[in-house]
Amino acid sequence: MRHGFLHFLIRRSALAVLLVLLVSSASLWLISLAPDHLAGFDIDPEVAAAERQRLKLDRPFVVQYAAWLSRAARFDFGESLKYGLPVTTLVGERAWNTALLGTVSLLLATLIGIPAGILTGSQRGPLAGFTRVTSVMLVSVPPLVTSFMLLLVASRTGWFPVGGFVPESAGAGEMIRHLILPCLALAVPLAATLERLQSQALREALGEPSIRAAIARGCSRTRVTWRHALRLALPPVLAVYGVLVGAVLSGSFAVEIVMAWPGLGALMYEALVARDLYLVAGCAAAGAAFLAAGVLGSDVALALADPRIGRSP
Amino acid sequence: MRSSFLLALVALVAAAGPVAAPHSPSHQFTDFIHAPPMRPRVIGPDGRLRSPFVYPLRLESRLERRFVEDRARPMPLQFLSGGSIVSVAPSPDSPWFPLGTDALGRDVLTRLLFGARVSLGVAIASAAGALLIGLMAGSLASVAGNLVDEGVMRAAEFVIALPAIYVVLALRSALPLTLSPPAIFWTMVGVFALVGWPLAARGVRTIVAREMSMEYAEAARSVGASRTRLLLHHLLPATSGFLVTQATLLIPAFILAEATLSYTGLGFGEPTSSWGVMLQEAGRGPILAEAPWLIAPAAAIVLVVLTVNSVASRPAAVPFQRTDPT
Amino acid sequence: MAKTTRTLLTLLVAAVLAAALWWSVGARTGPSPVAADPTPIQPGGELVATIRSEPATYNRYAPAGGRAATDLLTLLTHAPLVRINRTTDQIEPWLAESWASSADGLTHTLKLREGVKFSDGQPLTSADVLFSFRVVYDPVFKSGLQPALSVKGKPLAVRAPNPHTVVIVFPEAFAPGLRLLDVLPILPKHKLEAALDAGKLAEEWVPAKPLTDIAGLGPFVLSEHVAGQRLVLTRNAHYFRRDASGVQLPYLDRLILSVVADQNTEALRLEAGEADLMSNGEIRPQDYAGFKRLAGQERLKLTDIGVGLDPDFLAFNLRKELAKDPRASWLQTREFRRAVSAGVDRSAIVNAVYLGAADPIYGPISPGNRTWYDASVNKGSFDPAEARRLLATAGLTDANGDGQLEDAHGKPARFSILTQGGHNRERVSAVIQEQLRKLGLAVDIVTLDPGGVVQRWGSGDWDAMYFGLQSSSTDPALNTELWLSSGSLHIWNPSQPTPATDWERRIDTLMGEVSTAPTLEARQKAFGEVQKIVVEERPLVHFVALRVTLATSDRVRNPTPALQLPQLLWNAESLAAGPRANGGSRR
Repeated sequence: MRHGFLHFLIRRSALAVLLVLLVSSASLWLISLAPDHLAGFDIDPEVAAAERQRLKLDRPFVVQYAAWLSRAARFDFGESLKYGLPVTTLVGERAWNTALLGTVSLLLATLIGIPAGILTGSQRGPLAGFTRVTSVMLVSVPPLVTSFMLLLVASRTGWFPVGGFVPESAGAGEMIRHLILPCLALAVPLAATLERLQSQALREALGEPSIRAAIARGCSRTRVTWRHALRLALPPVLAVYGVLVGAVLSGSFAVEIVMAWPGLGALMYEALVARDLYLVAGCAAAGAAFLAAGVLGSDVALALADPRIGRSP
Repeated sequence: MRSSFLLALVALVAAAGPVAAPHSPSHQFTDFIHAPPMRPRVIGPDGRLRSPFVYPLRLESRLERRFVEDRARPMPLQFLSGGSIVSVAPSPDSPWFPLGTDALGRDVLTRLLFGARVSLGVAIASAAGALLIGLMAGSLASVAGNLVDEGVMRAAEFVIALPAIYVVLALRSALPLTLSPPAIFWTMVGVFALVGWPLAARGVRTIVAREMSMEYAEAARSVGASRTRLLLHHLLPATSGFLVTQATLLIPAFILAEATLSYTGLGFGEPTSSWGVMLQEAGRGPILAEAPWLIAPAAAIVLVVLTVNSVASRPAAVPFQRTDPT
Repeated sequence: MAKTTRTLLTLLVAAVLAAALWWSVGARTGPSPVAADPTPIQPGGELVATIRSEPATYNRYAPAGGRAATDLLTLLTHAPLVRINRTTDQIEPWLAESWASSADGLTHTLKLREGVKFSDGQPLTSADVLFSFRVVYDPVFKSGLQPALSVKGKPLAVRAPNPHTVVIVFPEAFAPGLRLLDVLPILPKHKLEAALDAGKLAEEWVPAKPLTDIAGLGPFVLSEHVAGQRLVLTRNAHYFRRDASGVQLPYLDRLILSVVADQNTEALRLEAGEADLMSNGEIRPQDYAGFKRLAGQERLKLTDIGVGLDPDFLAFNLRKELAKDPRASWLQTREFRRAVSAGVDRSAIVNAVYLGAADPIYGPISPGNRTWYDASVNKGSFDPAEARRLLATAGLTDANGDGQLEDAHGKPARFSILTQGGHNRERVSAVIQEQLRKLGLAVDIVTLDPGGVVQRWGSGDWDAMYFGLQSSSTDPALNTELWLSSGSLHIWNPSQPTPATDWERRIDTLMGEVSTAPTLEARQKAFGEVQKIVVEERPLVHFVALRVTLATSDRVRNPTPALQLPQLLWNAESLAAGPRANGGSRR
């Protein structure tokens, strides 16, 4: 059993590395199709051509890609064209910020969303109805709008700073103040999504013959819900959870940009706008790494939660 | 019963809405930028009941977008005249804006009704596409061999990990400058379906795998049912609930994603009034506090999603009692 | 849906709507009386300014050094020989305390100020000036400043007879004269000579290298750069300028440049008091109401500085390649362009997009450019009948009466306008589209991000484009890339080997006069002619010029606003910080 598990882990890790490579290569190629960062009215075209030559951007894509690949093997992802700093430095800093924001948001979303889903999935009362309607509303309101509304509250009341994160500012208190709004903006729609999925999964599980049989046998509804139905309802949610983890950790760029939270998503977007070739590839690689980790984690949890899923995914 | 009635209503509004619209969606009332909604009233200025009317608006300060109701001249509402269901007697001074106007002075209700076709069309087609592909991929992954399963799941991860916005950017550079609306529509649906299938696939795969290991499935197999029959008749219906939930998550997401695509240039362009674009304009900055009626598309999306949701919560006619216990 | 759920839903929606209405009503409070500004200037303190992009290089001479962020940084940390005072539009002595020009205007002898030191304590000599010019013309480094420091492609000759004198010789008559030195910050030879000799200057003064490598003569020193977030500038202890009472400038101890890419967030930061000013200081009309409210509460100051420079334009593609398009028979005609200009009601743009805070214009130069604006040219009116007549002359008629104009072959008259998404330009394009629809022209609006717009423009794959250019100077002789037919920024048909039309040839000749005529009057007269030709031929159609309002927090003291960007930071040395007037609880 343990041997099989180890084998599974190794195989999936290898595939994760392959995924990271594929995603960053694809990103590199896609961005190279678009005009480069030197397109602009504020640069003389001859000067731009000279700069392109100096940065070796005028070579055919295959040549550039080969050069990038050989450097990437040594973990050197090149230098950002927009910031002038090594990509690994930039991505590293930002990834940490996004990981912080993402983890806290996911935690909050799980703490709110899953229990809410359990509530609405198993009960029918007014509280459950209210939660269901609120959740649907929150899923439908765009994160962009929620972010701006929160920012407005911040600027009008002055309780929270209007976005931004000052890394070296003193103490955890300052960091928490800056963290609250982006966290809320990210966690609320996420909680609503989780609630929807959990609710539906639980409702289905409660319809299972085994569960109904247990109720018919006289087991208390609560006990049945928590001990048996939940075990059945968790797998589909876990399956999607892994993907959500990856998506959040790779940066929800709408929230990060509006809240000026210096995270990976914001960096990815800025790299896109600036057509910063190497930064784009670096960000995509980091995002893919996070996603692979998240999916792997959820698959492990899945296998543990429901051995009936059978062969390791 | 009630839920399907709602769904029919939504479909009717989407298809025939433009008929009920009070104005043209591209007409810019330059003297009424961000005018507030004009509520129909029944109590007149003298305090007595009268047939429904609205007070016209007068512009006080253009730069500050300040309007004042002109209580001296109430405009009565007319029903079923002049080619629309409800309207106001034509008056150049102040047209009727039931839901206010946007940043260019265009009536929000009109744009909402016209935009329904675009937004719902794209979102529903994309959701259907994504779910279909996800269903096929997920069931393939769970019933075919290990290798196929592995391949499909890793492909799903690749699609999720690759930032879709890069794909759209590259696409936009390759496509010609102006595209016909059908071309834009199908390109968008294609992009969304390809971006949306992985989540559905993962869920489907998990559910089908679980169902396959259940007694009834083994029983069916032992009796000689082919894998296809098993899949179509028993396993896939088990995913219907999950898929509908996915739809309620995907539809609003796609409506909004359509607006994000517009930034990189793959959108329907002015003056088409898709809900996503209307929301994106509303969501920019402090304007929402000054003109909260711009959130109307979000309310519309909520209504649509609630409707789909309530239709989905009905007991589905599926064997082995996949009924709602409540 | 169960009854309870539906009732709850209705209640919820009603509650939200009610709250929204109440909030919107509550948003209109009146202004409170404004107190007078009492305090004299106190040195010390810090201000926070927002910037929209950040520098990829700290060297203005680098190829990418013309970008807004690097240019701003250069204004703050370096100094030129002579400076253009942006409020008077005149040259003033700066590092050079005086100069004498020869009779033919080609040779200028500048006397450098004594006792000036770089931020690292090293003295300034004429050798540094020579070195700076050497960098400009270095063939290996390929500086981005070379076009700006050349006259008809020829470099200036510079010699240094003694450590405090520089002689500059122009190869040909050049009317702006020493004005072009305004863009040339003087580099420290002792810091960069080795790199230039080794051919590695491009790798110096970049974010990857230590900030202590940089030495400048400006009021501030860059002491910190956190990528994606902010730049911190501290006072330069060796700065050579003093104010009228002998106090050493700058007044501020620190200036923080906060990177905020999104304009909406920028506005919110200013409202919240977390920023004191914006480097691109003009507020958008749609934000005006919110800012006015805060100004009434004395948390912000609004300053109206008049009509802005560099109006946006609708450009038409007049390149030869487009002549193969069947629509060229009407799309590339002068009548069509003039019809577009006459057929758009400019007041609709002023009111709808700019909420009244703009003036309609009919020529390429804004009234804000006092030296070069020719009022006689700026005449026109909204005339749809004239527009229809012109369109008919171009061959477009509505044969079947469906409201849509068709050409001689019966194909509908349809063209596209390329513009920048998410910007007021997109809205203006929407208004133009609606206005032209009434005339029977069908317009498709294509929005791309700014890089995408420029790329499409460069590839020639566009019909019309609504965009804007920021000129580096008010003097048109320093903007020849736009006006000359051979210019790379000659929007409608760039980089022509020879002028494609008679009127462009005429403009080339007139621009020669603008660049070389001896008196300002002669130059103005020639440029007035250029404006007349542009109005006649309409390769660019200008609709509105914005009225600029700057917003600053109440902590900003002694601002010297100018129309050119950056409106306040160009003279950052004389900015001061004071206490908050309203005793607000922010920061």
